Amino acid sequence: MHTCPPPINALDQWLEPNGTVERNYGHLLLEQKGTIDQDLIDALRPYFESAHLDAREYFHEQIGISLHPDAAGQPLPISYPNCLPSKAHRGLFGEVVAGLVTEAYQDEFVGGHEWRVPIFLFREHDDVEKYLWALRFDPSRTREIYGRHGSDFIGIALNAQGEVARVIAGEAKWRTSLTHSVVKSLLLGPKEEDEDTGEMVHNGRGIWFEVNRDTPVPHGLRQLQKLLEQRDPDGHANAILSIDRAVFGQGPLPGRTNLVLLIGNGARRREALSCLIPWEEAPAEYTAAHDLQVVEIILECGDGLIDELYATLWEDA
Amino acid sequence: MPERDQDRLEAAERVRRELAIENQLSRAQARTYVRCLQATWQVPTILWTERDSARQLADARRLLHAAHIFRSIEGAASQRAIDCYRRTGEILEWLSRAADTIRSVVPVELMAAGAYQLGGLPAMASGLLSQVRSDHDGVRLYSAFLRADFDGVLRRAALFWRRYPDLTTADASALLLIAMRGETPDGEAGPTVGWAFSVELVRSLGLLADCLRRGDDERLAVAMGKLGALDAMATRTFSDDASLVIAIMRAVADSFVAATIYRPLRALGALRPERSSRLLAYARDQFSRGRGILWTSQQHGLQRLLEESSFALCTPTGSGKTLVANLALIKELLLREDEGLQGLLALYIVPSRALAGEVEAKLTSELGHDITVTGLYGGADWGITDFWLTSERPVVLIVTVEKADALMRYLGKILMARLRLLIIDEAHQVVPEANEATRLSFSDHSNRSIRLEGLASRILSHRADVVRIALTAVAGGAAGPVARWVEGRPNAAPVGVRYRSTRQVIGVLETAPNTQGVILLDLMNGLPLYLRGEEDPVYLRLQIEVMPQLPPRWRNSLNRFNCLNVLWTALHLADEDQRVLISVAQEPEQTMRWFKEALERTDWQGVVGFEPPDGPLKARFDEARAACLDYCGADSFELFLLDRGIATSHGQMPQRLRRLMVDLIDRKICPITVATATLTEGVNLPFDLIFLTSLKRRSWDPVEEQQVIAPLTTAEFRNLAGRAGRPGAARGIEGMTLVALPTQISTTGTAGRATQRRQRAELAADYDRLRASLVIEERDANDVPSPLALLLNHIWERANRLLGVAPDAFLDWLERTAPTVVSADAGTGASDGTARLADAMDELDALLLTSLEEIARVDEAAMTRARAEAQLAVLWRTTFTAVATAQETWLEKAFVRRGAGIIEHIYPDADERLRLYRYGLPPVVGRRFEAVARRIRELLVAADNYGSADPTTRIDLFEALGDLVSGDRGFGFRVRRTDTDEAILERWSDVLGWWMNEPDVAGPSPEDLRSWQRFVADNLEFRLGVAIGAVVAEAWADGAEDALTLPSLAAWKETTGLPWIGFWARELLRWGTHDPFVAFCLAQGLAHTREAAGARRREFDAWLHDEQDDPESEDRIDPQLFLRWQASIPRAEGAAGAASQMRAALTGTTGARGSYAVIPVRRDDGTAWLDPAGFELAVTRPMARVGTRPSRSDFELVTAAGEPTVRRLFRPP
Repeated sequence: MHTCPPPINALDQWLEPNGTVERNYGHLLLEQKGTIDQDLIDALRPYFESAHLDAREYFHEQIGISLHPDAAGQPLPISYPNCLPSKAHRGLFGEVVAGLVTEAYQDEFVGGHEWRVPIFLFREHDDVEKYLWALRFDPSRTREIYGRHGSDFIGIALNAQGEVARVIAGEAKWRTSLTHSVVKSLLLGPKEEDEDTGEMVHNGRGIWFEVNRDTPVPHGLRQLQKLLEQRDPDGHANAILSIDRAVFGQGPLPGRTNLVLLIGNGARRREALSCLIPWEEAPAEYTAAHDLQVVEIILECGDGLIDELYATLWEDA
Repeated sequence: MPERDQDRLEAAERVRRELAIENQLSRAQARTYVRCLQATWQVPTILWTERDSARQLADARRLLHAAHIFRSIEGAASQRAIDCYRRTGEILEWLSRAADTIRSVVPVELMAAGAYQLGGLPAMASGLLSQVRSDHDGVRLYSAFLRADFDGVLRRAALFWRRYPDLTTADASALLLIAMRGETPDGEAGPTVGWAFSVELVRSLGLLADCLRRGDDERLAVAMGKLGALDAMATRTFSDDASLVIAIMRAVADSFVAATIYRPLRALGALRPERSSRLLAYARDQFSRGRGILWTSQQHGLQRLLEESSFALCTPTGSGKTLVANLALIKELLLREDEGLQGLLALYIVPSRALAGEVEAKLTSELGHDITVTGLYGGADWGITDFWLTSERPVVLIVTVEKADALMRYLGKILMARLRLLIIDEAHQVVPEANEATRLSFSDHSNRSIRLEGLASRILSHRADVVRIALTAVAGGAAGPVARWVEGRPNAAPVGVRYRSTRQVIGVLETAPNTQGVILLDLMNGLPLYLRGEEDPVYLRLQIEVMPQLPPRWRNSLNRFNCLNVLWTALHLADEDQRVLISVAQEPEQTMRWFKEALERTDWQGVVGFEPPDGPLKARFDEARAACLDYCGADSFELFLLDRGIATSHGQMPQRLRRLMVDLIDRKICPITVATATLTEGVNLPFDLIFLTSLKRRSWDPVEEQQVIAPLTTAEFRNLAGRAGRPGAARGIEGMTLVALPTQISTTGTAGRATQRRQRAELAADYDRLRASLVIEERDANDVPSPLALLLNHIWERANRLLGVAPDAFLDWLERTAPTVVSADAGTGASDGTARLADAMDELDALLLTSLEEIARVDEAAMTRARAEAQLAVLWRTTFTAVATAQETWLEKAFVRRGAGIIEHIYPDADERLRLYRYGLPPVVGRRFEAVARRIRELLVAADNYGSADPTTRIDLFEALGDLVSGDRGFGFRVRRTDTDEAILERWSDVLGWWMNEPDVAGPSPEDLRSWQRFVADNLEFRLGVAIGAVVAEAWADGAEDALTLPSLAAWKETTGLPWIGFWARELLRWGTHDPFVAFCLAQGLAHTREAAGARRREFDAWLHDEQDDPESEDRIDPQLFLRWQASIPRAEGAAGAASQMRAALTGTTGARGSYAVIPVRRDDGTAWLDPAGFELAVTRPMARVGTRPSRSDFELVTAAGEPTVRRLFRPP
């Protein structure tokens, strides 16, 4: 289970929050104010280790089983998630930060719910779709055989009885440079040539598309429940039952907040307090009925932070 | 139990009740299924939107979640989880087969197959997956795994390793993970978690498949641990559907581990450890036949087999009863301590000779190594090859009840001494229909249920220690009483699982002139697919040409129009790879003639797309065609239709031809079959579609002078419909049974319109009646009719009604009254009331006399009244009747009193009783037979020149034998009282000449062929055969020292005092030849036709002249010489196998384990030998000769002693 509280003090020194809530739309801008130093990394590390702990255990268990007939049980010199390529670290970083921000800044979020992330799902490995079904190693291949990934991130709010009263789910994206064109591609999908006009236009399959079409009960909720069943069936008995009812459509569905989190280094000519997604009202492209919470985190030298952080997770282990 | 589990179960239960009640479909589900069928048949579908698909998919996901809750709280055997899995499988299967666009987003086939596996319907899983082709290697590999096709898993895994040799090094897995971190200099993406995961999954599945097949539990545990870890990782890191499929595969793998056949076999092996290696070999063999993973019904059956001995197994057709029977044979025959010099023996009783052949073939192929399997369905009582009689090996005799009965009379003592196990297949046949036809069959001595009851009860009363296993396909109904019967315990319950192993759709083929055919879908597994009167009927509008208008004379018969419309439809559907049975209620020769005449018309040219097969199937077709030409003639309907891909079968067809026709159907050589119901009795054949052209049979009762109409019973219909749709057998997953109903009349003339309208309405009413009774669910019955109770009640009722016997006088009357006193016409087939009563009493006497004689023989003491009463009371308790109904005490009293009466009043002469017993005829008939028997014996004794006689002389002998019996209506020839059959009886010697293949004797017209065949089967093969058999048996018994003398060919002539023709006579009547050598060749498979067998005569004669200077007549037909000749024929050399051992160089192993399971993968100039998990261990050069399908074999790398070698451990049959 993920139990480590967010390092509030370190966050306060590192980021400057600017939050607004307009009806069911929340917008939170977090701008880096302090520098990234060893103290910050040391303060973040326990939270990241706690977030990764469950996945790490199971990853290690899996790779620890050798199927070679002579396998003598030598432990592999592999440490998760350190062993992953740096691109993967950026994806993971976004997801952990989504949880961190959701837990640490819940007062600033639309609705003011008490969000918690009992276990982190790391479902960033969408390349598994690419390889699992085709069994061909061809990184350039883009067509997917079965495609439906669900949301990157999921958190819950429990009521007094411990039942899941509300779910927050959505997309968390790291980009090295958060320029307007990069953000547009993320939100509206990559550009493709329009067959009629020959112009390059966004294909419409970006974050808004995914968020708008997600099912009433986010797919990840079922996976979260499965982990709770394994990890803490008694402590979360009511949460587990309430997820059953949600999946079955029995009784009212838990409330839903969609989260869109963009994190990266600010564009070169960015002005302070300028937003990538308008804060005044929810973007027109967002058509779902649920609350929407947008978070923009603007860093300086964020790549260094990620590399340093992931190089030192479980360094002492 | 965690505190909220009860609430979770309740939540899941609500979903189950809403969506997954067994045998109930919601409206939306019924629509999903109908759309699936329409799409499969490529006809216009009902209105359907993406929203409908999304709803069904959402329902499937809810069901999967509910199943998960049931399973995790109630355990893997949770019935409620099974309900949910089954319905999930169905919904997803229906979406998949409707080519729903959802298939491109969600792996519905894999999920459906997994759900079916977890729902205990493996055949549905493989049925679906065998129809779905994916372009993607991963999907194919997982499909192979989910359908338990482990050979396929290893084949696909081997392809993968061949494509990625870098992944086969010992450290490949670690290198892959290390490489993930490295940034490639050229900017190319390196391997990822997704790829590394996929590779490990291939390793795990390959290893699992191999370990399951080999029964290697040690490494199986490692592979399962790995798969479990992969599943846990996938839940955390992969998208919903990917992780769901992996979770399903893991759960299915768990179920495979629990259901592997190695488990019960290891437990059985503990009975006799020194034989356990044979059991393990048997298990491996079962895996190669696709039967290594046991079905739920088999697991239940084997559990019972392990725990105790006798039981009744009740599971539907196609759910693997045979395997349970096989293991019972192994347990009782191979794993018991040897008790004597001769091997133990099992009697395997089957309902028909056709089934005897099927069972013999199956058993021989699986157990032939260790057990002698003999199907005694030939003419002679103990066959040409007598080795089973003296065998030290265990023996299984596969016999019909009639044959078993004859064996008991002839060899009873020997049989009983060795008997260890009695298997009764289709045991529900002991339950008679409680109707007039059954009562008549008692008087006719043609009732099979009482014969089965009598035989089994006699065996049980003599040998209470013999293990009994009853197999039955009929759920509910008789299963309870049958279980009580075979177990001999009042509280015995059948082992079994109630489910349908196939999906059955019942509907109507609507036929109308000048209109395309339309199929109305009505019921699916007994459930209405639409509500009559409330919803629109569900149609498949066939996209086939309209049938050309028929000539006036043809269409003036509505029946003919209807039948031809069915043929027209069948021919078009056969083009689409559907296997069609046209089931004819009666007179198949008429339907065959109609078909032939239609196919000869010019406007029907081009509809037959059949081409005789090439390749290995060609020989099968040619053999059947030759036999058809031989037995039916060049002008026959049968041959004409066969040449157009239409197989035919009916009860009167010669056995050999019937078996060959069944083979053509089974191998799917002939896409269309025209047959009567006898084809499908107990035999499982791969039909997708069954058409019925009528739902009743008509006959003429000459006594009452009125038409008798017998509607098809629901049991008959269910049996027939159950034959459709063997999963995976052909195109569809479901079997469809369609009743052809004209929606318009076919005549265009004015004269017959009123008649046709009436006929049309009758046909529709017949269908409505059937449909209504099919909807009523079959129920478990505690009380069922039983043969002896029916017979005794029948006798009492008639005695009371016809003779005025009062209730309190009945038992005395019964004890003292001989049948011949009741009617002077007893035993002559007379049809008046008192004669039929007398014959019914004779039937009872037959059973009692047989039982008493066998008791006397065992005890070797004179039978007295007191002993008879005591023994019959014991016997009564072993009858089916005693357990089938609530006991009425007078039944037992009547049974015992009649038995005492036989000893004291009716057949008081013990010698006579013995003779009557040996004849095996009802005693009144037997008494008359005595005089004839003497004359038959005289004729046989005098026929010592038969071997050198010409055909005419030979057939004269049979004519003389026939003359002796032809006039008696008790043991002699009998025909139906129709003009045609009476005419045939008049000229029976012509039929004899034709049947015995007398040169230049004309056969019947194609029209009359079946009537002649019927006469042959009923009178020449059966009645004349029985008469001769009885005489020969008596001759043996008279000459033998005692009842334990083993028959042998060497002693046969001396013991019987008969020339060899006595040995051959029945066999000749069976094969239709006058030459014993021809019968021998056909029986031994040395020739396919009588002509071909006759041609080999020269070979034998030449051999005989080399062997003997001056062979005599008897030498020419001496079976011992035939066998010696057969042994002298050089056998074809088997194909040279691959080298048994190959020297190997180790590459990826230290060899420390001593031996390694390996699979071959071609590599450049040699063969790489990989661990099933994909690690190269050794290579051999040059390339190893491993055959075309090496993934079906097991190989082993041996490193323990000296130079490493690779050897093949298992080669599939």
